[in-house]
This record gives sequence, structure tokens and C-alpha cells, in this order.
Amino acid sequence: MNTNSMSYKSKQYIMFAGITTLVFVAVVIAPFIYGLYLTFTSWDGVSRDKPFVGLANYVATFQDSAFWAALGRTFFYSIIAVILVNVVAFILAYLVTRGVKGQNFFRAGFFIPNLIGGIVLGYVWKFVFNRALVAIGESLSVGALSTSWLSTPNGAMACLIIVAVWQYAGYMMLIYVAGFMSVSNDVLEAAKIDGCTDFQTIVHISVPLMVSSFVQCLFLTITRCFMVYDVNLSLTKGEPFNSSVMAAMHVYNQAFTYKNYGTGQAEALVLFIVCAVVGVLQVYIGKKAEVSA
Amino acid sequence: MKLKKLAAVSLAAMMTLSLAACGGSGDEGGAESGGTAITIFNSKMEIQDQFEEVAEKYTEATGVDVEVYYSSDTVAAHLATKYSSNDPYTLSMVDAKDVYNLAEEHAVDLSDQEWVSQTPYAITINDKVVGFPLCVEARGLIYNADAIEAITGTPFDPAQYQTLDAFKGLLDQLVAGGMESPTGVLKEDWSMAGHYLPQVYEEQADPDAFVTGLTEGTVDLANDPKYNSLMETFETLMDYNYAKDSAISAEREVTSQKLAEGEIAFMFGGNWDWAVLSAYDYSDNMGIMPVPQNTDDGTNTKLVGGGSKYFFIDSSENTTDEQRQAAKDFLNWLVSDPEGNAFLTDDCQLVPAYSNISADNLDPLGTSVKFYADAGNLIPNYNFLPDDHYAVLGAKMQEYLAGQIDRTQFAQDIVDYWKTAQVIPH
Repeated sequence: MNTNSMSYKSKQYIMFAGITTLVFVAVVIAPFIYGLYLTFTSWDGVSRDKPFVGLANYVATFQDSAFWAALGRTFFYSIIAVILVNVVAFILAYLVTRGVKGQNFFRAGFFIPNLIGGIVLGYVWKFVFNRALVAIGESLSVGALSTSWLSTPNGAMACLIIVAVWQYAGYMMLIYVAGFMSVSNDVLEAAKIDGCTDFQTIVHISVPLMVSSFVQCLFLTITRCFMVYDVNLSLTKGEPFNSSVMAAMHVYNQAFTYKNYGTGQAEALVLFIVCAVVGVLQVYIGKKAEVSA
Repeated sequence: MKLKKLAAVSLAAMMTLSLAACGGSGDEGGAESGGTAITIFNSKMEIQDQFEEVAEKYTEATGVDVEVYYSSDTVAAHLATKYSSNDPYTLSMVDAKDVYNLAEEHAVDLSDQEWVSQTPYAITINDKVVGFPLCVEARGLIYNADAIEAITGTPFDPAQYQTLDAFKGLLDQLVAGGMESPTGVLKEDWSMAGHYLPQVYEEQADPDAFVTGLTEGTVDLANDPKYNSLMETFETLMDYNYAKDSAISAEREVTSQKLAEGEIAFMFGGNWDWAVLSAYDYSDNMGIMPVPQNTDDGTNTKLVGGGSKYFFIDSSENTTDEQRQAAKDFLNWLVSDPEGNAFLTDDCQLVPAYSNISADNLDPLGTSVKFYADAGNLIPNYNFLPDDHYAVLGAKMQEYLAGQIDRTQFAQDIVDYWKTAQVIPH
């Protein structure tokens, strides 16, 4: 059989990837293109006809100051959250690969927050911030704790970041753990014999050899932070004064609550492009930094 | 080799089929038991259980298969999905403003129905009755009379506290009697800018003209007597708020619990709040009174409200004429059959919107609303506010509640909002 012929190749493709392609087209590509079409209409979501309005939705997007404010806020949130998540995850991973007693238990423990759905997690933390911390603050008369953090714009942002760190650090920790494990003992021993301190070993040996873990973790955290919606909804719901509305929530509100489908869809597209650019750029830079032992 | 290939292909085919099957069976819903089957969308979460029960009974009695669905999504978003998948409900329960959005394209003319003459609340568009009101709901100041009487020692009569001055006197008396902070304020945007703020429009002599004035920029809101009188009262509620320093993180459940159990005495709300209040160790001696104001235009003797939650029947080709008839029969059954009435007033504790339905066993808040409704003391809802009104101005009103902006600034924000906002055509 000629394994190089076009027909053989396409048969192989259909055999192994046909269904996946079909599903991918049906649930990702087709809605995406349809969505693109909707950005050129002023559809309200229920009406039978979808009046064509050209670029009006894009103009509206650029004039929608609330959207750009939300996007800026999302950038701010993502940068801080991504840094903190990865720093905390890295430190945790380091600690649970040192051979501490019960380290498997700790690994499982740190990972558990990731198993709780975002909505539930938001409500749990809302209780913590609104009631538990306030009760503690009042009984110990700590001024900073006696009013809920969720009632001020900066406090609400801090709460969102804290919850993001708590939620994702465990997951990213697992990836870093795998990274630490993949660094071969030979090089670590060689470093030790050459007189490296623990800190030097991490910075000069482990980290360069586990760049791929960093690339993965950064990619995952960046995209997740940019698209954050569930925790945003259940923890702050955009309050106070719509000051914690992230980009995804604004898009949802625009499309479904205010019934501007076209504008919402156009804003979603802008958000997609921003995410794609940031994600691709980050992976590209990360790949360049990779070294092999 | 041939056999293996065959096996692989058939396996692949089976997988595709099972996928397709998953996709198809999702929304079909109940079994079609011979006769007509209708679907009902219920957007009133608190009556979902009762509704499912009554649907079962109705099916047994009439042979018409009734399936009731609920969605936690916003009404418009949920119906949008159903309409774009060409699978609309036969009967949809929506808010009044949704009727104005949807009816023209999607609703059946119900003008010839018997119940039309029995209610003042039906929605008519282009001379066609399209919206069937499910119940009456109204807004005002919810009070806990037990809590008040425990301090004042005299029976509480809301009619004595129609002016803000008298109301303030009572609040001071409560404070002096040991209730440190007698009020609570719901900070939710739908309560603030969906329920409280619209009173500024609704209590005008001509709400339509007033809102048109706002959109045209001809209204001087900061000096409007109605705006100032309502905000004066709102500021009083803010001053005596139990959560004065953390008003914007006060949770609805906590505030409701305090009111139900008598820790506070007043909260602005509506009779739908009973669903939350009754979850706690509540006092029976509660009710709704008009929002106190220093005014003599009579608005401080009335609640604001009217028909709430409207049914419309789908007019698209996805619904058959038999289904439409069955849906009409169901609506008639609600209004004219004793069992249908019992479902509305006993099971669901709804204030009836129809003159022929009596209701003696309503919850305390419903009893208040019925009292004002029967006496003709309801100021009609203004149902044409833009969809983002409550969210955009809710955020502003929260700033006002938090003391970050003052009354004049808030008025300016409202005026600015209306520069670009458009009311729902009606």
C-alpha cells in the first residue's frame, strides 16, 4: 500500500481526526463565524430579523467607555494574579518536592481548591470576606477587618485576586512539581559537588531546565485570568458600583442583560483578539527561552 | 484485514450516532401522552414546585400534557436561546417589559378571552391584548409591627406615618426605646434602581411625559420636588440603617432576617420579599405601607405596583393551533376554575389580578397589597425603562448609598444616563 498517497493520507486523517474535526467545526468554528456575522447586525436576541448595520457595533465598542474600563481592570487583575499565582505555586511546589513528611497529603490539600467550582468558591469566599473576617475584625477590634473588603472598589479587587491565587496555585503547583521531578538528579548532584547553595541550584539549574512548566503555567493562568467570569459573578457580581466588572462579565451584560447582542459580540471579539495576542506572544517568548539538558 | 477495517468504521459510525443522539434528546422534554402537549416557562422561581404539582393535576384532569420549566438565566436571555433554536415554549411567563419587547413578533392576540374583562392589569399592544397578568405585586415600606409595638406599646397604624416628619418621629422613638437602628436598605441594584428610583418617574402626574422630558434633557431633576422628596426619605432610611457604615456589603438575607425577627422594623421592598422573609423565624404581624414623604399629592397614601409576571402564547409555526388552544384553556382554568384559583392564591400565595378571585389566606405582605389594590390605591408601574437602567443607575445609587456622591451629583448622573438611553417603545 502506498502510504504516501493523497488518498491514503486523507483516509488516515478522516479515520483518526474526522469526528474530532467535525465536532470542532460544529461547536467552535461555526459559532465563531456566525458570531462574526452577528457583529454586523443589531439583533436583540429574540427578533426574527437581524438588521444589517455594518460597522456600527464596532464603533459602539470603541465608544463604550465601560468596556475599556473593564478591559483595563482585567489587565490589572491578570498581571497581579498571574504573578502571585505562579510565585505561590512555585514556592509550594518547591516545598512539596523537598521530601517533607506527608508531602503527598500537602500536594492533595493544595490542589483541592481547584476541584471546587468557581461559583461555589465565590460564595464561600463571599461569606469569609463579608462575615467571618468582619466578625473576627470586630471582636479583636482590628480596623482594617471590621468592614467588609467587598464594600470598597480596591478591596473587592484585592478579594478577587486573593481568591484567584487560592484557586489556581494548587493546580499550577502540580505542573511545577512535575517540572521539579523532571530535572535529573545527575545535574543536581553535579551542582552540589561544585558548591552550589540551594538557592543557586534553583535559580541556575532547576529553573532553566523547567522553562516548559513556566510556559504552560503562564499560558494557563493568563488565559484563565483574562476570561474570569464565574468567581467574578458569585464573589462580587461587579459590585460595588460596577467597579469590579471584568471584561467577560461586561460582554455578557452587554449582550444578554442590556440586549445589545451585536455590540456584545463585537466586544467579545475584541476580548478574544486581546487574549489570543497575549497568549501567543507569551508562548512564543517562552519557547525561545527553553533549554535542554 | 477487511474485518478489522469494517469493525473500525462501524465503531466510528456508532460513536457519531451516539453523539448525534445526545444532541437531539436534550430539549425534547416530557413524553407526549397521546393528546396535546404544551410547555410552560415559569420565571417565578419560588412557585416552581407548586407549578409542577398543579401541572400534574391538570394533566390528570384534562389529558393535556403540561410541562413546566424554570431557568435561572435572565428571562430575555433564556427565551432568546429557545427562540433561536426554534423551540419556543407554548406559554411563557415574563416580566411586563419583556412583553413589550416580544409581543409584536411572538405573541398571540388574546382579546377575545373571557378573563380580559375581569382584570385591569392585562397588557394591550396595538389594541390587542397579549399579556395575561399572573398576579399583583407592589412596592412600599415593609414593616414589622410586632417589633414596633414592643417598643411603643400602642398598636401600629401605618396611616399615622404618611409624612416623613411623622415617620422620623417614630424612628427616633424606636431608637430611644432601645432599637439602635430601626431600618435596613437592600443594596442590590434591582432594588435600588429597579424598584426605589423608578418611583421618581411613576409618582409624577404624567410619567410618560416626565421620562420623555428626561430623554430630551428638559427636566431639571436636581430641583424636581418628587426626586427630592423621595431621596429625602431614602436618606432617612440610610441614616437609621443598621449597616450604616457597610451599607454596600449588607446582604439581602441578613437584612431580611433582621426584619423578619424584629431586630429592625423597616425595609423598602415588595410582597415578593415574603419568599425570603418567611425563611426565618418571622413575625406574622408584618405588612407593607406607602413610602412616607412630606408631600400632599397623595402618593404617600398609595403603594406602587400592578400586574406582575405576564403569560403570552407563542405565535410561531413551531406551536400548533391545538397547543395554542390548550394554552388558552389553561389560562382560563387559572382564572375561572376553583382549583386554578386555589393554585394561585393558596398554593402560591399570589395576590390575584382578577376581580372574580377572592383571596383570604394570603401572606401578610400579600394581604397589605390586596388591601391597597382593592381600594384602588396602587400607582401603576412604569414598565418601559431600558434594560440597562437598573444596572447603570443601580451602580450610581450604590455610590449614593455609600456616601460617595451627594443627591445633586446623583441627579446629574441620572440626567446623563438619560441622554443616550431610550425607553422601550409602547
